[in-house]
Amino acid sequence: MDPKAAALMAAGLCMGIGAIGPAIAIGSLVGKALEGIARQPEASNQIQTAMFIGIAFAEAIALYALVVAFLLIFVA
Amino acid sequence: MEILEHFYVKVIVPIEVFGIDISITNLTVALISAAVLFLAFFVLLALRPKIIPGKGQVAIEMLVNFIKRNIVYNMIGKKEGDRWFPLIGGIFIFVLSCSLIGIIPGLYTPTANPIVNITLAAVVFLTVQISCIVKTGIRGFIRSFAPKAVPSWMYVIVVPIEIISAIAKPFSLFVRLTANMLAGLTIIYVILGLILYFESYLIAVVAYPFAIVMTLFKIFVAVIQAYIFAVLSALYIGEAVKPKH
Repeated sequence: MDPKAAALMAAGLCMGIGAIGPAIAIGSLVGKALEGIARQPEASNQIQTAMFIGIAFAEAIALYALVVAFLLIFVA
Repeated sequence: MEILEHFYVKVIVPIEVFGIDISITNLTVALISAAVLFLAFFVLLALRPKIIPGKGQVAIEMLVNFIKRNIVYNMIGKKEGDRWFPLIGGIFIFVLSCSLIGIIPGLYTPTANPIVNITLAAVVFLTVQISCIVKTGIRGFIRSFAPKAVPSWMYVIVVPIEIISAIAKPFSLFVRLTANMLAGLTIIYVILGLILYFESYLIAVVAYPFAIVMTLFKIFVAVIQAYIFAVLSALYIGEAVKPKH
C-alpha cells in the first residue's frame, strides 16, 4: 500500500479509536458529579471544581490522540 | 496546507541585536496588544477604589477573590497561598487574555503557538522543582521520589514512575493548552474554507452560522482551559510545597 495512504488511514483510525475512552470517562464522571450534587446541594461548589479538574485530565488523553493523528498526517 | 501556516510566524519589522534575532513578528504584535488591552481594561476599572465600590470595582474584586479563594487557597492552603498568589494570578490572566485575543479577526493567537506554551510549562516545572529543593533540601527532594507508604521492594517500580510523572505533568499542561487552542482555530479555518473550496454561496448559508457557534464555543473553551491551567499549576506547586511523605 502507498505509505502516504497508510499514514492517512492510520490517522483516521487513531483519532476515532482514541476518542472512545475519554468519552466514556467524561460521561461517567459528570454522571457521578450530578448524583453527588443531587444528594447534597450545599457541596455543589466543591463537586463542580473537582469535576472540572477530572474532565481536564480525561480530555488531555483525547488530545494526545489528536496530536499523534496530526503527526501522522503532516510529518509521515 | 494552510493549517500549518499558523506555526510559521510572519516577520513584520526585522531587528537584529548582536546576532540575536528579536524582530517584531505577528506573534509579538498579538502578545503586546493582548497585554496592553487587558491591562488597560483592568486598570481603568479599578482606578479609584472607594470604600463603597462601584460596578467596575466589584467586577475586579470578584475576579481577584475568585482566583484567591477558589484556586490558590483551595489547592495550596491559606498560609503558603499568599506567597504563590501573584504567580498563579499572572498565569491565569496571561493565558486567558492570550487565548481571547485570537477572536479579533486578523490577530494571531499566542497560546496556539507551541513555543509560548512550552515556555509557560517550563516555568511551572522549574518552579515546582526549585521550590521543592528550597523547602526540603536536597535530601528531601530525592526522598520525595520514594514515598514512605510503599514497601521497600516496590521502589524498583515506583521510583521510575514518579520520575516520569514529574516530567509528564507539566508536559501534559503544555499539550492540553496547545491542542485545545489549535483545535478551535482549525475548525473555524476548515468550516469557512469549505465556502472557498466549493465556490458557491449556498454553502455559506449553512457554514456561516456554524462558524459563529464554533467561535462562541471557542470562547468557552478558552476560559475553561485558562482555569484548568491555573488550577493544575496551583495543584502541582501545592504538592511540592507541602510535603506529606
